[in-house]
Amino acid sequence: MPASRITLQQLLQTLVVLFAGLFFVTACAEKPAPQKSGDKTTDTAKKQYVIGFSQCTTTEPWRALFNRLLEAEAAKMPDVKLVVLDAQDRTEKQVADMESFITRKMDAILISPKEAPGLTEVVERATKAGIPVIVLDRDVNTKNYACWIGGDNLEIGREAGRYAVEALGGPGKAQGVIYEIWGGMASPPAQDRHNGFHEIVGKEKGIKVEGNQDGDWKQEKGYNIMETALKTLPKIDLVYAHNDPMAFGAYLAAKDAKREKDIKFVGIDAIPEEGCMWVKNGQLAATFVYPPPGVEGLHAALKILKGEKVPPRISLPTRRITSANVDEYLASLKK
Amino acid sequence: MSRIFRESFLYISVVAVFAAGCLAAPGFLKPDNQSAVLRQVSQNGILAVGMTLVIITAGIDLSVGRMLGLASTLAAMLLVEKRWTAATYFTVPAAAVSAGILAALLAGAVGRSRLGLRTRTMQFAAFLAAAAAVGLWAVPQARTGFSILSVLVLVPLSGFLLGGVSGVLVSKCRLQPFIVTLAMMTSAYGAARLIAASSGSGYIHSLYDSQGNVPPGVDSLRVIDAAQLAGCLPSWTPRFLSRSLAEGTLRSILENLPVPGLFFLLCLGAGMFILNRLRFGRYLYAIGGNEETARLSGINVDGVKTAVYAISGMLSFLAGVLACAQYRQGKPDMGAMAELDAIAAVVIGGTSLMGGRGRMMGTLVGVLIFGYLTNILSLRGVSTDVQLFITGIIIVAAVLLQEGYIQRLTSRLRFYQRGK
Repeated sequence: MPASRITLQQLLQTLVVLFAGLFFVTACAEKPAPQKSGDKTTDTAKKQYVIGFSQCTTTEPWRALFNRLLEAEAAKMPDVKLVVLDAQDRTEKQVADMESFITRKMDAILISPKEAPGLTEVVERATKAGIPVIVLDRDVNTKNYACWIGGDNLEIGREAGRYAVEALGGPGKAQGVIYEIWGGMASPPAQDRHNGFHEIVGKEKGIKVEGNQDGDWKQEKGYNIMETALKTLPKIDLVYAHNDPMAFGAYLAAKDAKREKDIKFVGIDAIPEEGCMWVKNGQLAATFVYPPPGVEGLHAALKILKGEKVPPRISLPTRRITSANVDEYLASLKK
Repeated sequence: MSRIFRESFLYISVVAVFAAGCLAAPGFLKPDNQSAVLRQVSQNGILAVGMTLVIITAGIDLSVGRMLGLASTLAAMLLVEKRWTAATYFTVPAAAVSAGILAALLAGAVGRSRLGLRTRTMQFAAFLAAAAAVGLWAVPQARTGFSILSVLVLVPLSGFLLGGVSGVLVSKCRLQPFIVTLAMMTSAYGAARLIAASSGSGYIHSLYDSQGNVPPGVDSLRVIDAAQLAGCLPSWTPRFLSRSLAEGTLRSILENLPVPGLFFLLCLGAGMFILNRLRFGRYLYAIGGNEETARLSGINVDGVKTAVYAISGMLSFLAGVLACAQYRQGKPDMGAMAELDAIAAVVIGGTSLMGGRGRMMGTLVGVLIFGYLTNILSLRGVSTDVQLFITGIIIVAAVLLQEGYIQRLTSRLRFYQRGK
């Protein structure tokens, strides 16, 4: 067997394999984007905006909802092409995703950072490259971006406090014991949800707030904390958990102790398949929307691209969800 | 013949991936994209260099990712905190001991070959001198905050010691490398969390202060500041050179060079030198090929194996310092799962997990294929779900080609056709 012939054959095999791979990549990727859409010579009437969205992770339910709403909104706009990259909860990956957006010269970038310090530099770089950057949910350590949009956990805490006061008899005459279950004690959202709540509830002489346990945002920890609390506290009127899964875990613990009828359970986040469903089933008394900022982010990006002014910080209002309005709220998400 | 094919396959495949990038990805060839890729692969690359050495001895180091996280936490705390913290208590003694051990090894080698002195005493003296020197240099800095240069020296030195601990457990205690480094991975993560939480402000240590500034010099581990460099030039440098550096082409070239990438290339070069030029490198292949034979032929197998894990530990700590400077933060879960990427790159590069076979050049190719692939898919806007799926397929395909499996399959087919 002449050696050269075999080598050539093998070489061809390699090339075939690689080109098959290349074809696969090309086939499953997007249609060639209108990269030249930035050309000033082409007519501006048909201009399509290519907007990148870097999401830090999509495995949490709230982030999945965030993506779903944003993608649905973008699909309604014929002049917008949204490219979503998921950083799989890794800072390195999110920086690389942002770099690919900068290289592609996106018209605008939405980013929901994994954490502030790690993403600050690349946000600054994108801004320096002339791309408007809209930061969603968590902030970064710089002001060199177009706009920040997110929920206000302090206000959510206050709204939950107002609900608790109403549920226990109204301002000035509220009576009862509230048991609070913390999210991460070191995490700023949990601290805000705690402080806002106490700002309102602390004014009521008749209300006593118990509980300083860290449930790490998890349903099973909510269950365990509540199980202990039920043994030590003979009377609990309302459970305030920093998110819905912990409130639901507390509900399950109370149900197993046959005390769920005497207690109102209040959570936060109002994700359709979690909090809203539990409110609908009567397991939670109320939950509060922590608004996913994607849709507003997209609108802000379009405003900036069309030359309109956008305020540097937009904080989104919360909404109280009870059995009275849960159906209407779920319907509003579907449309 | 098939060996030649295997070797050329490496280069063909990286060229093919590059060509695919040029054809299919918008903006792929732009210098800033290429420099971004070099920076993105540098972390995996530095880990993979150490991993190549370990795998050639038929070992494995699962701890590199968590060690990187530990190092980034240490680096961030050393840079920001201006007092004695858990990070200082850990890093300074560990670095001093490592420096001492390195000095003792050096003294032993020199003493034996050149001077013919009583080496034990010399080694002991060298150990004490080096450890004392590092201690005296580092301790006064604890109160004022460490400079970036001292962090760049001290943290990798302490990584050398931690890696050495794994190495001793593998070589002297005859434990499986998989188990030892798995334990090290878990303990390093635990240590990182303990140290990070000890200062009472959560796990993430940001380099930013309240005014949004980072400690001085941190950016020098990210990009080269050409303007500052131009200011440092001596007066006799040719005019065109200094001007080019201040505002011309040289400046744009330098500012596009990612410093972590340069560190990666440096480590790669050092790894190549070890494997191809040093007796130590030949020992690695010998041990990986057949450890018992290596032992019988007089190689200090235990020493060599310990050294390999120590080097891997040092490199992962170096990568941790660079990651801290790059992302301006240190946190325990930085670099989670990075060990798997490093192992995959090494294996794609043709290094055998059975040991005794492998080259640094292959690792470079493996790292680049990984980096370019992710870059191309991201530039094309392929969703992450698909990216992960494709990456898995590419790993399998690359290894199948490496092992000559597809060639064997086709030649067997040909054999059947001939039989008909």
